[in-house]
Amino acid sequence: MYRYTDFDRRFVRQRAAQFRDQLERHLAGQLGDDEFRALRLQNGWYVQRHAPMLRVAVPYGELNSRQLRALARIAREFDGMAGGPYEGRGGGFGHFTTRQNCQFNWIALADAADVMDVLAAADMHGIQTSGNCIRNITSDCFAGVAADEIVDPRPYCEILRQWSTLHPEFAFLPRKFKIAVSGAREDRAAIAWHDIGLQLKKNSAGEVGFDVLVGGGMGRTPVIGTLIREFLPWQQVLVFIEAIVRVYNRYGRRDNLYKARLKILVKAEGQKFIDAVGAEFAAMLERDLDGSAHLLTDGELARISASFVLVPEGVVPETGPHVDRVVRSAAAGPAYGRWLERNVHAHRLPGYRAVSLSLKRAGQPPGDASAAQMEGAADLADRFSLGELRVSHDQNLVLPWVRVSDLEALWAAARDAGFATPNLGYLTDMIACPGGDLCGLANARSIPIAAALDERFDDLAELHDIGDIDLHISGCINSCGHHHTGHIGILGVDKDGQEWYQISLGGSDGSALSGAPVPGKVIGPSFAADEVPDVVEALIDVYRHERRGPGEHFIDAVRRVGLDPFKAAASAARHATAVHA
Amino acid sequence: MSRALKFIDCNDDPWQTATVDDAPVAMPAAEPFRLLTLAQWQAVRDSWPAALPVALVVGNDVDVETLAADLPRFAVVALQFPKWVDGRAYSQARLLRARFRFAGEIRATGEVLADMLPLLQRTGFDAVALRPDQSLAVARRALGFFAEGHYQGDLVEPRPLFARAAAA
Repeated sequence: MYRYTDFDRRFVRQRAAQFRDQLERHLAGQLGDDEFRALRLQNGWYVQRHAPMLRVAVPYGELNSRQLRALARIAREFDGMAGGPYEGRGGGFGHFTTRQNCQFNWIALADAADVMDVLAAADMHGIQTSGNCIRNITSDCFAGVAADEIVDPRPYCEILRQWSTLHPEFAFLPRKFKIAVSGAREDRAAIAWHDIGLQLKKNSAGEVGFDVLVGGGMGRTPVIGTLIREFLPWQQVLVFIEAIVRVYNRYGRRDNLYKARLKILVKAEGQKFIDAVGAEFAAMLERDLDGSAHLLTDGELARISASFVLVPEGVVPETGPHVDRVVRSAAAGPAYGRWLERNVHAHRLPGYRAVSLSLKRAGQPPGDASAAQMEGAADLADRFSLGELRVSHDQNLVLPWVRVSDLEALWAAARDAGFATPNLGYLTDMIACPGGDLCGLANARSIPIAAALDERFDDLAELHDIGDIDLHISGCINSCGHHHTGHIGILGVDKDGQEWYQISLGGSDGSALSGAPVPGKVIGPSFAADEVPDVVEALIDVYRHERRGPGEHFIDAVRRVGLDPFKAAASAARHATAVHA
Repeated sequence: MSRALKFIDCNDDPWQTATVDDAPVAMPAAEPFRLLTLAQWQAVRDSWPAALPVALVVGNDVDVETLAADLPRFAVVALQFPKWVDGRAYSQARLLRARFRFAGEIRATGEVLADMLPLLQRTGFDAVALRPDQSLAVARRALGFFAEGHYQGDLVEPRPLFARAAAA
């Protein structure tokens, strides 16, 4: 993974010092709430329903064990603010998000600058994890190890991270701006759902380029990104992205928060937008003073790529006919087999696997990890994965460098630490935002819905029978829980001060399982919270009845038979009291 | 292109608007140190003496390319921040400097806060009229946090870090 240089290290410390200055002025009454707001947001500090929330950047989802221990330390030492649920309880929780970041919900604002110092000491920060700026770059959680990888996206992600960090022209865009990069055949980063989606490719000459999608996004108006440029040479990627962001900064709407995302500009202007970006790109290179300064060089790619070598120190690709044969001891039993099937993933190196540590287990909100659990995961990373981890888009952790011969030992240790629920890709591996329990924006709670579904679908044999399915829960239309892309999407809505849940079917993030990216369709009026598990069960029952054998996944069946039978079953699951207009 | 930021004291600024009862006059007379709106400039540009420099206030929705031919006649272009979180003027300043080679003063006006100063300086502004409640000391301090520079090139240091590192 990327190794911080001395410059990087000093940079995050300087940022922490700048933030401390701003915080101190705020606490001294010299910097008003409104003005401090935009400044703290660009360092990851929201003020939420009950308390400040900190979002820590995990650039393209890569973490080392030292950094995870720093996150654990923050949960333990700072997440127990007076008046919060973890006061006096020896530590709180981190929450891993769909954008591969980590959030804390109960830190006192007065401690904020100290927390940034703890992060900086571990080569971390909260820069641009919120605010109307270029956000943390996201990518494939198997980047660099995926068996289906065409080009390792991480060097490009890091180059983009550096370029976008404190970009002076783009700190106050009309709205937030998200970039995702994929370098594999399978899109595991939902790139079409981002303001800019980058797909790395190689041409027949072996040269590397990007297909560039623009104007995707979720929220109130879900839009799939438009292909604006095919096979952009990698050397030009910063210049081309700068052209896109400049056109957006100049012409994106600022009069209406809900129409300010790039997707609205792209939809409204269509080809004119594409032409404007083309003209800006050409003008930069042909007319601007130092317009080619940001063309990437072989030297720069090599400098960054040195952190992402094909075979990191400590990895010994194995040879011989049996390197990929998994040995199962008699003691392991069927639980180990289920774990191998669900939580262990193909690797590009013989004799290695990537392994998911499930953060989806009964009794704990999806994506949450306590201080002790984070330390446990860090220990597993040290023991089995060169001290390296990833945060996945679906809110689990991944160990990317596990030897096949270590799998059984890892399984036993992960099980002891509570990370071995063999449910990757199953219904209970659901995505959920923190929702109304914590978030100031939410209309409804997500966590109790997730808990009720966990309780309803607690039988592994049943989950196995239902098979691969994406169930996504958002507490409001901001879509942090990606409900639009769920095969089953659940969206919290507020009517007359009460919580209701809109359910949609057939969404896709763009993965091979889910098909071409598309938002799900709403299947009728909203449901009451206590109806949601019944409705989900009814939808699943329709699928089990309709499916053509175990090879047909839920999403395939929905596409084949259409929404009607699902709608009918969902309506029948309403309790009489819950029918409302 | 790097230059020290100048702090403008509005009470002691030679550049004065051409207004009567706070309303801009339609056809301002050609006088030194006039700060004109774009509409005023368009009304007088053909009759304005070529040797008489003028200052222009430009709204943040103006495409600065439309000013390109007139730029040599402006001593000052005053860009506006109607709200400090509206970042359009950063792009205008960058284009004026890097694309249109404007060498006069680019001034930040409107809701200009001390914490914006690093961004202003790096996008090509060289003068700021701070909002009256802002502290000059805080503003100067705000410029000093990143002494070793930034990752991407800008109007102060056009080379990105990788180009500087390669040259070192």
